[in-house]
Amino acid sequence: MEFGPIWRAMMRNKGGYLLIALQIAVTMAVMVNAFAIMQERSKKMSRPSGIDDANTFSLVSVSFNPELDAKTLVQEDLDLLRGLPGVANAVETNSFPLRQGGWSEGLHREPGVGKSVSSSAIYFVDEHGLDTFALNLVDGQNFAPDQVSWDSDSPDFWPATVIVTQALAEDLFPEHEGSYVGKTFWFNDENPANIVGVVERMQAPWPTWTGIERSMLVPLRRESEFARYVIRTEPGYRDELMVQAEELLSGSNKDRIIRGLGSAEEARKLSYLGDAAMIKILSFIILLLTAITGLGIVGLASFSVARRTRQIGIRRALGATKPAIVRYFMLENFLVSSVGVIAGGVLAVGLNIVMVQAFALTPLAWYVIPVAMIVLWVVGQVAVAGPARRASGISPAIATRSI
Amino acid sequence: MLNMKNVSKIYRTDTVETHALREFSLTVEEGEFVSVTGPSGSGKTTFLNIAGLLEDLSDGTYELDGRDISKLNDKERSRVRNEKIGFIFQSFNLIPELNIFDNVDVPLRYRGFNAAERKRRIEQSIEMVGLGSRMQHLPAQLSGGQQQRVAIARALAGEPRFLLADEPTGNLDSQMADSVLDLLAEINAAGTTIIMVTHELGLADRARRNIFVRDGQVSDNAPELHLASMAAG
Repeated sequence: MEFGPIWRAMMRNKGGYLLIALQIAVTMAVMVNAFAIMQERSKKMSRPSGIDDANTFSLVSVSFNPELDAKTLVQEDLDLLRGLPGVANAVETNSFPLRQGGWSEGLHREPGVGKSVSSSAIYFVDEHGLDTFALNLVDGQNFAPDQVSWDSDSPDFWPATVIVTQALAEDLFPEHEGSYVGKTFWFNDENPANIVGVVERMQAPWPTWTGIERSMLVPLRRESEFARYVIRTEPGYRDELMVQAEELLSGSNKDRIIRGLGSAEEARKLSYLGDAAMIKILSFIILLLTAITGLGIVGLASFSVARRTRQIGIRRALGATKPAIVRYFMLENFLVSSVGVIAGGVLAVGLNIVMVQAFALTPLAWYVIPVAMIVLWVVGQVAVAGPARRASGISPAIATRSI
Repeated sequence: MLNMKNVSKIYRTDTVETHALREFSLTVEEGEFVSVTGPSGSGKTTFLNIAGLLEDLSDGTYELDGRDISKLNDKERSRVRNEKIGFIFQSFNLIPELNIFDNVDVPLRYRGFNAAERKRRIEQSIEMVGLGSRMQHLPAQLSGGQQQRVAIARALAGEPRFLLADEPTGNLDSQMADSVLDLLAEINAAGTTIIMVTHELGLADRARRNIFVRDGQVSDNAPELHLASMAAG
């Protein structure tokens, strides 16, 4: 290998090489941190909501007749919806995961005025909520029908039983080991709630909330002119049932409008729209920077070949084979790239530390920098291959030509 | 050692054919010091390029050490150039970014010698041309004569069977030229075959045999006659 002479030769003419190394370093620093952001966003987007996103949809009934009996209408609607062939279950609720709008409540471990120790998203449901959302009950049991009440019939508003997510239970009782069923906490420091069931996961409606995994089902039905229905279908029936459900409810009562028809998947997509856009923009920036760096390397190598045409002819005359000339330029590029990626690695870690401190970004995974180094080495080698191949085609006879 | 028979070299463009060598035949025996002279455009450099395997011939046969060169591929030609031939060029052709040591090292690396062997050969050949104290100097820090000595050291380091010198004193003053020619004579005396292409008639006298090239062919006339006629002309 000719590392020594190549390195020494580069050091005597280092301007162009340093610029390319700097470009590689900056590209790497940006690439690595952009990738870290993309990875974090992607991880965020792929978090399971806990519900059956693929087969769930929602619609809203808004009554404009003040004489309408909301309780009766909701029950009739649910009976109709549950009776539709292909519908697995349906529930009236205030929201669902990632809808970007919902109810949250501060929670207390003890009664009385004091600072809440946790907070949770609240989903008001009846005994069909657990099944409609297809939640995985890991402990305890579902609500019994007699535990479900109407808010108009409940003087304290908050029912005495709840089903919580595992994350909420752990947050409420961090020191507790064993089952959380039977544990009590307080709403608004005065209404006790007893945990009757624990579900593995059910995300809150707000995708950017740090406590997104903390939510609970509350057995309360709300008497209102506004009713949101969440419907889960058998696999494959969702799209046709969305149309049917809308038509069914619209036709069953003319004193209201049906709106807000949309699937849980659409809601999920909407809630992560910014993250998806960020991933696309950063991907484009990474590709653009890599392409610019590659073109820079092509430019430097082409200039280098043009400047050293005679030198290449001399090397050929002295016995260099064509592959040896290609290898020379490849090694030269490898050295430039190595300086660039090593400096880029340091720069990337520095930038990441700043970003972790400033934007609470997750620190870089150990493999990101080695992978980026390999990518940029490969980009460099691919970029230099063309000029190197052209260099190898230079005739050795050029060595005897007069300048 | 070197045997060319009826070698032709034709350069072709879309509209023009240039016959640089026509039916060129020459035999050089081992240990000879041959000068190749001729007027500008006579084909001297083309002969050197073909003899040094820097260019392909168009027709004829060329044997070097009994091997038919025209049948070799590029890799084999590179190897023959590297192992059997040493080149000395008019403009020295040192690599400006490399110091003297690294310049002499260039052909040795292509030869595949290990580091210790390369170091031994480099130091020996640089010492031989009297530049042992200048190994870390860059070419630009040396005089023309010294640069040509480095080029000779580079050519000799691989212990080639013969040296091809292309106007080796063309860029040197007479004192430096004499010193380089003395060095070539020493090298020849040590057994290395030398073919020196030059247009300077005075230099041709330093060779043991002179070949005169005209219109791409070896002239049948004796060198003395050429020298006399050229001097008269």
